[in-house]
Amino acid sequence: MIKLDFEHRQAGHCESGVTSNLLHYHGLTISEPMAFGIGSGLFFSYLPFLKMQHAPVTSFRVWPGMVFDRTTKLLGVKTHIQRFRKPEEAMKALNEALDQGFPVGLQVGTFHLPFFPPEYRMHYNMHNMVVYGYDNGTYFVSDTVVEKRAEISYQDLVRVRFAKGAFAPCGRMYYPYQIPKNVDVTPAIIRGIHKTANNMVGVPFPLIGTKGIRYLSGQMRKWPKKLGEEKAAYYLGQVLRMEEEIGTAGAGFRYIYGAFLNEAGDILKQDWLKEVSLEMGEAATSWRAFSYKGSRNCKKRGKAEESYDFLADMLIDCADKEEKIFRKLSKIKFY
Amino acid sequence: MEKEANPVYKNQAYGQFRELFYSYGADGKFEKNVGFHGESTRVTLQQAWDLFNDRIEEARQKVKAGLASPILYYMEKTLVTPLDLSMHTGIMVWRVKRHLKPKVFKRLNEKTLKRYAEVFNTTLEQLKNVD
Repeated sequence: MIKLDFEHRQAGHCESGVTSNLLHYHGLTISEPMAFGIGSGLFFSYLPFLKMQHAPVTSFRVWPGMVFDRTTKLLGVKTHIQRFRKPEEAMKALNEALDQGFPVGLQVGTFHLPFFPPEYRMHYNMHNMVVYGYDNGTYFVSDTVVEKRAEISYQDLVRVRFAKGAFAPCGRMYYPYQIPKNVDVTPAIIRGIHKTANNMVGVPFPLIGTKGIRYLSGQMRKWPKKLGEEKAAYYLGQVLRMEEEIGTAGAGFRYIYGAFLNEAGDILKQDWLKEVSLEMGEAATSWRAFSYKGSRNCKKRGKAEESYDFLADMLIDCADKEEKIFRKLSKIKFY
Repeated sequence: MEKEANPVYKNQAYGQFRELFYSYGADGKFEKNVGFHGESTRVTLQQAWDLFNDRIEEARQKVKAGLASPILYYMEKTLVTPLDLSMHTGIMVWRVKRHLKPKVFKRLNEKTLKRYAEVFNTTLEQLKNVD
């Protein structure tokens, strides 16, 4: 039996929460927004050709696994990341890592997770959690979505680690094992901000970044004619679900990113970052307003002011605000 | 964000977990609070589950009327599409779609049925009969 002394802290976003918790165990304390910002987790993409739960995918985050990879790389932390073909090998490797005294982060599918909130149990293979001990077929789990620690049986753990379908986790496990003595977060923050700004405004492709928001708003105007009222409401609901729930702490991560910019302003001693963080807060508030109005539309209480044209205009407003913010952030200086 | 749990959901099990939310106050500070979903989230989640339940019920009627095979019902019950089901079972998509016909389903061998039963987490008996 092994049970490591792992501190369970709830977080808004699963992966940056896991990253922050794992690094905290090894003595490097960075907050969750910090991990999210350094790993440049903020993103936007609208993928109409990829369907998830019968509607197009709108993503407010980067590819799963990237936040951990980038954060540890930029901070100079040595990590072990592995995928598997066979479940037995995967479980053996997990046990060995726990024996050596490392809590392990796992990528899992949410459909069969027994302790997960039942309203979230859809096929979503990009969830992350930490295993910090095992005892005779039972594993001790710290999941950042759930308030308390949880337990899971061997069979269930195999099942969620080898969940199939789109973005299959393939038993992906990762843990940091060596941390440099003096960590300087300053260059990591600057590179993280630069990367995010480039992702949002610097990519010449219409489906991602602020261009993606504009494209989505253009498509949204056509939905009621093209799909009919009911399906249009469902498509809108999918956008809102992605924005407000699936691993976001509200408003598509904009609140977390604002908190990160605020903290970064303190650390770098640059006041303009704090001003930008306030603008980010306002952008987040307009995203929240969009989701509130949109949900009224989903509930079929839509008045004239909450038509799809009105919602599309709100999205354009969000895109304008964010473009302004990230154009400013892309001018951050390396030194 | 709400203090009280489960004010709107139809299913009693929903909305019982407290989560962490970030917010932006009027005084220009970012805060984090632990609470339940706000209204917009509840509405959209309920919308999704309504759609799933409608689809499951529709599939059940179809299977009972003999218009589709039980695989359609179990497919909707595990919230997947034929493409996902093909990834889960390792059977090609066109074959999965063909297996949705009752005539083809009757002729399936045990090996194929077992692959479906494993994914749906049922026994062979349950797979053949939809109640």
